[in-house]
Amino acid sequence: MHNQDTQKKGSASIWQIAKAVMFAFMGIRKKSDLENDAATLTPAQVIIGGIIGAVLFVLGVMFVVRLVVS
Amino acid sequence: MAAVHGDVHGHEHDDHHPSGIMRWITTTNHKDIGTMYLWFSFAMFLVGGTLAMGIRAELYQPGIQILEPELFNQFTTLHGLIMVFGAIMPAFVGFANWQVPLMIGAPDMAFARMNNWSFWLLPVAATLLVSSFFVPGGAAAGGWTFYPPLSTQGGLGVDLMIFSVHILGASSIMGSINIITTILNMRAPGMTLMKMPLFVWTWLITAYLLVLVMPVLAGVVTMLLTDRHFGTSFFNAAGGGDPVMFQHIFWFFGHPEVYIMILPSFGIVSEVIPTFSRKPLFGYSSMVYATASIAILSCVVWAHHMFTAGMPTVGQLFFMYATMLIAVPTGVKVFNWTATMWRGSMSFETPMLFAIGFIFLFVIGGFSGVICAIVPIDIQVQDTYYVIAHFHYVLVSGSLFALFAGAYYWIPKWTGRMYNETLGKWHFWLSMFFFNLTFFVQHFLGLAGMPRRIPDYNLQFADFNMISSIGAFGFGSTQLLFLYIMINCIRSGEKAPQKPWDGATTLEWTHLPTPAPYHSFEKPPVVN
Amino acid sequence: MVENKSIANVLMLKKLLIFTLIMFVFGFALVPFYEKFCEVTGINNLLRPDIQAKEIQVDESRWIMVEFDANTRGLPWQFKPLQTNARIHPGEPVSVMYEITNNSDREINGQAIPSYSPRFLDKYLKKFECFCFTKQTLKPNETRQMPVQFVIEPELPADIQTVTISYTFFELAAGVSAVNK
Ligand code: HEM
Ligand SMILES: [Cu+2]
Repeated sequence: MHNQDTQKKGSASIWQIAKAVMFAFMGIRKKSDLENDAATLTPAQVIIGGIIGAVLFVLGVMFVVRLVVS
Repeated sequence: MAAVHGDVHGHEHDDHHPSGIMRWITTTNHKDIGTMYLWFSFAMFLVGGTLAMGIRAELYQPGIQILEPELFNQFTTLHGLIMVFGAIMPAFVGFANWQVPLMIGAPDMAFARMNNWSFWLLPVAATLLVSSFFVPGGAAAGGWTFYPPLSTQGGLGVDLMIFSVHILGASSIMGSINIITTILNMRAPGMTLMKMPLFVWTWLITAYLLVLVMPVLAGVVTMLLTDRHFGTSFFNAAGGGDPVMFQHIFWFFGHPEVYIMILPSFGIVSEVIPTFSRKPLFGYSSMVYATASIAILSCVVWAHHMFTAGMPTVGQLFFMYATMLIAVPTGVKVFNWTATMWRGSMSFETPMLFAIGFIFLFVIGGFSGVICAIVPIDIQVQDTYYVIAHFHYVLVSGSLFALFAGAYYWIPKWTGRMYNETLGKWHFWLSMFFFNLTFFVQHFLGLAGMPRRIPDYNLQFADFNMISSIGAFGFGSTQLLFLYIMINCIRSGEKAPQKPWDGATTLEWTHLPTPAPYHSFEKPPVVN
Repeated sequence: MVENKSIANVLMLKKLLIFTLIMFVFGFALVPFYEKFCEVTGINNLLRPDIQAKEIQVDESRWIMVEFDANTRGLPWQFKPLQTNARIHPGEPVSVMYEITNNSDREINGQAIPSYSPRFLDKYLKKFECFCFTKQTLKPNETRQMPVQFVIEPELPADIQTVTISYTFFELAAGVSAVNK
């Protein structure tokens, strides 16, 4: 993860964005990971990731609701 | 770090300023505008508070003594509107005006002239709102959420209210555009996003939320207006509309709105707690993330305000689960504040007292919120005093206490003078005592079934209502003490030392003299 | 340097203003979205005929009292059911006549809005025909009789013995289209 030469803006992998968003939703993140995120993610990636995350959150809750009422 | 960079330039900027009243009307200085915002919101706080005193006086005993039911409803409606849109929101914008440029090393707000406009819209809107008491038919009386059909039926007072909400919305949007641009474009070199103080972060996110949902509020009140006067039927069932749709659109704005009112206070508390614990904020990055996620998720929980409006079970369950999950990032914040205090060398000056009071009471409000989110319970407590207790615990002992903490914390920086610490502590303890006296018993009233927004009640509720009213009168009077403390500080407070709080680490304390000069950071500071 | 900054600021201002405008429009877009959502999910399906999908079994062992109620709001019509109640079996097709009279000397458009007690009755009430599905236009002093045909499904909870079906006529302003265009 801490590969020095990948540390530039926009170089984050999908998985890294997903991880950043997931931790954001819980509200916890290690400082070192955060700095890594800040260095490699662009705002656009974070926003799109956040929106996708929110949609997935909604779908996830909906899925649970389905399970509960069926 | 502590070196004060000479920012006091030889030449006098203040010369070419109009003096007297014109100075305030034409000013584009962020400090002047911030000051005006703060005084305006305090004035509105007193107006809204007076209405609250009226409400509690009427509810002191069962029966109708002081306010006729019509007037009582106008009081509750305007109390809510004035406190939300006139007191709490502008107060936070006032803090942003003062503090955001100081904390990021910017000389002023990005759009100084627009800043002036967005302030001066407020007195206009407030005048409309308050004057609606004196028009035929009186003020709007359908609750601060102005649900139709009441809001499509009322008289001129409702039109004045709609107009005033439009103006207040425009002001908020202009204010947030200004704040966003300032934060994103005007930071001093080296002040990266992840170095920004948390107060700035929370305001950045709040401002985004504002531009996201304020236009929706503007849209929904526009629909009300056209329903009232131009023959549309957005919310009129007879014309094919649906009054429940109003509730959906309103709360799509309304729930993010409640976070708009709490996120900046998270920011203030996150500055105060580390300063007086003499430790850096625990989990700064998680705080940023938690704030952002609260903001996003707050847009998908709105219908928890509508559990009894008629909704399929899947809908109720969805909004119930989503609401309860939102409490997780909120809980993370509380954990982080507590962890910041843990083994810190704490001292308990007034700002810290208010911040700690905030944490305690906000947690109570958060818990009662989660209880309201449980559908079967909410069906019982919806529209009772339980909900009133819930949101006063998060808004009064949440937002308002944080505002007090911020005011005591930064007043030395703003005025160069110290407030009276003894009186400040009195203000805190009296507020704490009377607040709980007023609102804790309202939980019991709500659970026992006392509905909100009624001027009279069953005898069984008499004792708790009397206690609550006594508490309210005490709380109201205590706030006059705050006014006294502030005036006393401004006029004859002791001279503040350069850095009255030794734990403070943000730019306004480390890089500027006290009081902050009229023009600051014209040369950007060096942040390392 | 300063130039650049104010250009960047104005650009930001424009973006945010556009965003604000989009959200304002979004507020209005919620209206058709809401209607579509209710239609697709079958919520709020008060004003469309139901289709008899399956053969409904008549439950001869049970009686339900159905009360009919009629109101007008803000229009000079007289509106009443020809019978005030009916004792029926769940599952049995029922037909009731309502009568409206325009007591004024102008032509008036009206729309009837149903409401039920208990509130969840709509889940068990299948209406095949109703004057509330369209707007009604009455000439001066015209009288009209109109039927409602419905079935109450046998799945109605057993503890419910009396239900009320109520209609309220509202005036439609001239030029306003009826609910179901
Ligand atoms: C832990 C977080 C929270 C949860 C789970 C929560 C949940 C709820 C629920 C379910 C209701 C609806 C109750 C009803 O009408 O029956 C409600 C009402 C309300 N909440 Fe919260 N809430 C939370 C935090 C907050 C915060 C932080 C604020 C504002 C600073 C706030 C302000 C309000 C207001 C103003 C109302 C009442 C609106 C009205 O009907 O007039 N809440 N809350
Ligand atoms: Cu809410």
